Formats: sequence, structure tokens, C-alpha cells
Amino acid sequence: MNATVATTVFAVFMVGTVGLGLLAVRGRGGGGGLAEWSVGGRSLGTVFIWVLMAGEGYTSFSYLGAAGWGYNHGAPVLYVIAYMSCGYAIGYVVGPVLWAYARRHGLVSITDMVAHRYNRPWLGTLVAVLATVCLLPYIQLQITGMGVVVSTISYGAISLNWAYFIAFAVTTGFVVVSGLRGSAWVSVLKDVLVIGTLGFLAIYVPLHYFDGYGPFLDRLVAQKPEWLTFTGHGGSGLGGGWFVTTSFLNSLTVVIFPTTVAGYLGARNADALRRNAMLLPFYNVLLFVPMLLGMAAIFVVPGLTGAGSNLALFKLVVDSLPAWAVGLIGVAAALSSIVPMAVFMLVIGTMWGKSVLGVMPRLAGRPDRQKLGAQVVVVVAGALALVLTYTAPNTLVRLSLISYEGMAQLVPMVLLGLLWRKLSLWGALSGLVVGGALVCALVFTEHDPVWGVNAGALALVPNVLVALLVSWLGPEPRPADLARPDEEVLARDPGPDEAVVSAGV
Amino acid sequence: MLKRPTLLWLLIPYVLFLFLLPLVDRVRPTVLGVPFLFFWVFLATLLTPAAVYLAWRGDRKRGRV
Repeated sequence: MNATVATTVFAVFMVGTVGLGLLAVRGRGGGGGLAEWSVGGRSLGTVFIWVLMAGEGYTSFSYLGAAGWGYNHGAPVLYVIAYMSCGYAIGYVVGPVLWAYARRHGLVSITDMVAHRYNRPWLGTLVAVLATVCLLPYIQLQITGMGVVVSTISYGAISLNWAYFIAFAVTTGFVVVSGLRGSAWVSVLKDVLVIGTLGFLAIYVPLHYFDGYGPFLDRLVAQKPEWLTFTGHGGSGLGGGWFVTTSFLNSLTVVIFPTTVAGYLGARNADALRRNAMLLPFYNVLLFVPMLLGMAAIFVVPGLTGAGSNLALFKLVVDSLPAWAVGLIGVAAALSSIVPMAVFMLVIGTMWGKSVLGVMPRLAGRPDRQKLGAQVVVVVAGALALVLTYTAPNTLVRLSLISYEGMAQLVPMVLLGLLWRKLSLWGALSGLVVGGALVCALVFTEHDPVWGVNAGALALVPNVLVALLVSWLGPEPRPADLARPDEEVLARDPGPDEAVVSAGV
Repeated sequence: MLKRPTLLWLLIPYVLFLFLLPLVDRVRPTVLGVPFLFFWVFLATLLTPAAVYLAWRGDRKRGRV
């Protein structure tokens, strides 16, 4: 009976999700090419941008990982809030700068910007391939995350393997057709459900299990103090130094992360992004809820280990609530996998459509064909992540370890490069190679954190040094590159109401 | 940056979350029962949008945005 009710609620909402996603492009026809699909025709206002970017940031990790970290370690999980807050704040400057650059030159992704900045299409191709390697594991994390949630909230009626497939099918079902605009629409449903269910749980769980916050917090302070400061519980090795370096590195990375940039580029104007930078940090308040519930679960369901601890929050939910409510909370968590996954797939498709397939003669300068190519890549990338989830789950799990720290090594090439003319192609590239190699070496030999510091943050230091050194001492730029005016190469703040001349893409 | 000094407000979250961490990494005193570190991070989370607002207000006054 329980299984039927929860599964029905879930099924109705999944059908609704695909419907809503498809409805987003009703009446817009198939025109507009790649820019309409990839960045919503650069037409989203403050509200949609907020909803979309909040939707991207709050992933299945927030329900599973945040609660699991809270349960296992406690305080170290706070890095998620720290880096998102810092990153959203500097997004106030970076967002409009990237937006204006992309708009002026008709660019649709981070790889596109790199290709334009350094005047080398192959560099865009290279970065697209590297970024895809870093992003694929995230798709798998969303698939597996949604899998365990769906299987748990259906009281086991839906098996893990079917749940994985549903995650893939629902996401692909709308994003192929409706792109960024569809993701934004689905985000509306997602945010309403996430805010509603987490707000409810924040009040209900302490009351139900502990007679309110007072007794719950007293008990936590009295019995579990190791969870409440660094390095947290369980010999994680995640101390204050790790927290500071990780939060700092991730705050720089999140502003150039391809999915964040997709959100930036979707904006109608720069002011929508500035307002968004003020409003978005409020969403981080919601992240406290799963962390808190994870720590509540220490008392209610002790003894969870390994992957089981990721279900800390859902154990409480299934244990204390009626089936329809369990179904609804499951839908919120499932949508927290679907929306980020949709944008991940969209971004991979966009990067390949424009920077890999788009450099081929048959597709160059043909946004309609590039869009078709991008849509095919979306399905291929999603299917690849799904197949790997079934057949070789550990491959992508290992890759996911370098995802964020690997993407971080692009920060000098992208951010520094767009602001500082003297950073040369070979400088940026050498820095990336050195930084990337060091991250792989440290992470795969299990030296992360190294000396109590985030390995990616450590690798960023030689990355920048090598980039500067090679820029000064390395080969001279080509005459053709030297002849390009600064306005063509560099990005700058768009300022007030600048009449931006769109490149017509 | 020199023309927009109010952008320095954007460093406030870095100060609150990261720079001050050694001072706030403690359980007591609790605030309304909340362990101090968690209270502090919550406060910093609420102050971050305020800092961005101050940067935006500075830009507005100078007619920069």
C-alpha cells in the first residue's frame, strides 16, 4: 500500500516534469539555432536566472552527501556553504563580465570563449574534451543519487537499475528538445518542492524525535562535540586548513564551471546577474537542513556506514512520515538530480556542438547543424554515463575525485586570460598541463588532502607560476594575434545599459 | 577595481568564512543552543547577500551599473 502511494506520487510528478520541460519551448518553433537551445536565446530575467542557478547548485549531493557528511564527520561539510557563498559573491563581478564577452562575440560556452580569447579553435576542442571528462562523473553521480532515492522512497518497489534508467529517460526526455529554457522551467517546480519539503522537515524532525530544537541541540553539544568543530568526527583528516583551501579553490572554480556559465549566458542583461548575485546566497540557508538532519540521524539511526550513511536523511523520512509525504520528498530529491543533470548534459552537448563538431568544415558557421550535433551528443553522453553506471561504476567514481580540482586548473586560462592580455596561449596551456598533471598525481596516489591542504589548491600555485613564466619567457605571439585590438581579446565589465552589439548568433 | 572600491565588500564572505575560521572553530559559547561554529557559519551565510548588496549600492551611486 505504502509502495503504491509513494510510487504513484513519484510517477505523476515525473510525467509532469517532462511535460513542463517540453512546454517551455511551446510556440518557439525550431528556430534560433544553437544559442536558443544552449543559452535560452540569452533572454532569461532575474527570476528565471535565480531559479535556474539555485536549481543547478542544489544537487542530489545536497540531500545525500551533505546529510551523509553531517552524519559521518559533522563540521567539514560546512565547506559547501562557504564556497557557494563566496563564489556567488564574486559572481557579482565575474558573471556580467563573462556574459558581456559571450554576447558581444556570439559565444555559447566556456570552450567557445577560450577559443576566441586565444584565437585557436583547437584550444576550444581540447578544453571541451577535458571538461567532458570532468563532467561525465557528475552525470553518473546524479544518476546513482536519484537511483538510491527512488528505490528508497518507493519502499523498494522500483529497483535500483530501473531507477537509474528513469533518471536518464526523464532528463533526456526534455533537455534534448527544450535545452536551457526547459531546465529553467523544471527548476521552478523543483525549487518550490525543495523549499517546501526542506522547510517542513527542518521543523518536523526535531519536534518528532527530540521535542524541539532545544533538547536536540543540547544533546548534540553534550554528547557529540567532536562533530561540531574541525576536524570533525572519524579521523577524516579534514581540518581547518583543508576547509579554507577547498572553499577558496571551489569559490573560484564555481564561477567558471561550465554549468554556472551556462546560467550566466542565459541572462537577458547584466543587471539580472548582479541582482541574482544578491539573491542567490539566500538559497544556501537551505543547505543547513540536510546537514542538521544528518546529525539528527546520528541519534535516531546509529550505525550507518559507507554508502548507507548517505541515506541518513531518508531513513528519518521513511521512518516518520506517511507514504504520500515520502513520495513528495522523494520527488524533490529526484528533481535535485534531474535539473543539474539536464544542465550538465546540455553543457556537454553545447561544448561539443560548437567547439568539437563545430570546427569541422561541414558544421562551421551553421548554428542549426551545430544544434543538431549538440542534441545527439546529449543523448550519447547521458547514455554513456548510464551504461558506465551499470557496467563499470568505479571508473567514473575515480574520475569524480579529480572533477572539481581538475576544472579548477582552468581558472588561470579563463579568468586571468580574459582580463590580462599578456597571458600567452603557451603560458596558459603550460600552466594547465602542469596543474592538471599534479592534481592527477596527488589524487590518484591518495595524497588529497596533502599536508592538510586541498590538492587542487596546491596544484594551482605551480599552474599560475608556470603560466606567468612561460608568458614572459616563452615564444612570441603570432603577428596576427598581436594585431587584434584589446576589445576583441579581453573581457570587461559591461557597465550601465551598454548598447551591446550582438554578433547575431 | 580602483575605480570601483566598493567591490571590496565582495571580500567580506571570504573574511567571515575563511579568514576568521581559527577564531570561530569552537563549540562554546552556544548561541540559543546552537554550537558556536554553526552559529557563525549561519550568520556569515546571511551576511553574504548583505555584502553583495553594499557592493551593488556603491556601483549604483557611481552610476557604474
